[in-house]
Amino acid sequence: MGVDLSEARGIITSFLERAEKSTDGVTDTTGLWGDGLELDSLEAAELSALLEDAFGSDPFSAGDDLPETVGDILAFYEAAAPA
Amino acid sequence: MIRLLERAAAASPNHAAVVTNSGSMSYGELLADARRVAAALTARGIDRFAILEPDAAWILRLLAGAALVGAEPCQYQPDTSVEEFVSQAPALDHTIVVSHRTDLPDSFEVVLPEDLLAVDPPDDLTAAATQPLMIRTTGTTGVPKAARHDWSRLARTVEDAKPHPEQRWLLAYGPQQFAGIQVLQHVAASQATLIAPFPRQPKDGLAALLDNGVTCISATPTYWRFLLTEARSRKVELPALEQITIGGEAVPADLLEELSRVFPDARISQVYASTELGSIASVRDGRPGFSVDALFSDANPTSNLKVVDGELWVRAAAGMLEYAGAAEPAPAEREGWRQTGDLVEIVGDRVEFRGRASEVINVGGVKVPPLPVEERINRIASVEMARVFGRPNRLTGAIVAVEVVPVGGTAGADEERIRSEIKAAVADLPRAWQPRNVSFVDLIETQGGKTARRMEP
Repeated sequence: MGVDLSEARGIITSFLERAEKSTDGVTDTTGLWGDGLELDSLEAAELSALLEDAFGSDPFSAGDDLPETVGDILAFYEAAAPA
Repeated sequence: MIRLLERAAAASPNHAAVVTNSGSMSYGELLADARRVAAALTARGIDRFAILEPDAAWILRLLAGAALVGAEPCQYQPDTSVEEFVSQAPALDHTIVVSHRTDLPDSFEVVLPEDLLAVDPPDDLTAAATQPLMIRTTGTTGVPKAARHDWSRLARTVEDAKPHPEQRWLLAYGPQQFAGIQVLQHVAASQATLIAPFPRQPKDGLAALLDNGVTCISATPTYWRFLLTEARSRKVELPALEQITIGGEAVPADLLEELSRVFPDARISQVYASTELGSIASVRDGRPGFSVDALFSDANPTSNLKVVDGELWVRAAAGMLEYAGAAEPAPAEREGWRQTGDLVEIVGDRVEFRGRASEVINVGGVKVPPLPVEERINRIASVEMARVFGRPNRLTGAIVAVEVVPVGGTAGADEERIRSEIKAAVADLPRAWQPRNVSFVDLIETQGGKTARRMEP
């Protein structure tokens, strides 16, 4: 897949800015739901579409488990990257 | 069709009936050739045939000639691929094809249109009692489907037409479409002139409007948007129009306003019709939708329109006789009323269209009609055109997506600013209605002259 993780971080950041959510203090361990970014299903769907458009697949649509943190999203692309 | 041609040819045989890329023909010439076609069809024993032909002058002669002897013609889009034609024609019992195409396989008997002019018609040739016409439905996939009509029923919609030989109507629809057939009929009934360029893209229509003295145009809202966009991008001054007819899709209010502004002298008619149900209603008050007074009620028992659970139901006045080619029956009918699949909402004194039921986007259980969202976005000054549709999503089933053509094209467009404007334009709509995916394109794809809003895979 060859995903540039900094590009994935950029997409997450610009998504949060458009959604008018603070990007201050967001790290790889920041949760996507609940006490973290507090994404609801529509916002998560929006982020998944952005990631799919950029990279052809996204961690919200692949596999059984939804990502729980920002780091899970990055790990999805890291795992898919060629060795 | 043949009766309309006969009437026009008797009234003004030398008047130009049709102007195409290859020249013009008068009503007298069209009728004479139609009679030759009729004689040739009889001589060859042809009672059903497919037409694969772009030239409207040939189409008029073939349709009228077939009507004269009761043969059943059926047009296909002229650039239909061989593969698609081979897969569809047998289901509609089409083994004979009238066409200039040279790529059709030997399994079909291909007849050149010119070869149908070789037989002199007898003097006592009179119109057949039944005059069938098969019209394929647009946008179908899989099993081909076509509606079987009769010209005598179709002609009811133009029986009150008055002669207007000064009118020059643009053929913006494909003549194989039901709306295209309506234009052919109306032009012949009005003894007017058909301006029929090919291809029939909006840019070709604009050229005809500028160069061929077009005075009347019937087209879909999508076609009108493209034509206005083309005119703006080319910075041309549009001539006055006498008549604007708009149909085939729900008509957005902003488009009606723009057409009124650009063509202040034009009479604007919105028509409601379908391949299966025929021509149902026409509105000329310049407002979106139609008056609630037009609905069926105790006070208006002859109305052909009623609303059931947010969907328009109609009584077909000049609808098809039956489906051909498909196993499925005609649309469900209840005491003469049929579902249309068109969603409507009663707003004050108007019945306003909200798009097709098949276009509704199910966002986490919330049903979103794309048209009202699209209308909001189309009103943004920096947006030339927009298309709202459903995009599948694992989390919510679907999200609302929008393709945007920025004014001036994608090159140099300020995408972030347009995204913000879209967000502001839909801010008061329910959250599930708000587009979650915005993409920027230079061209919006259409299907049969209409915007495709169905869920994309």
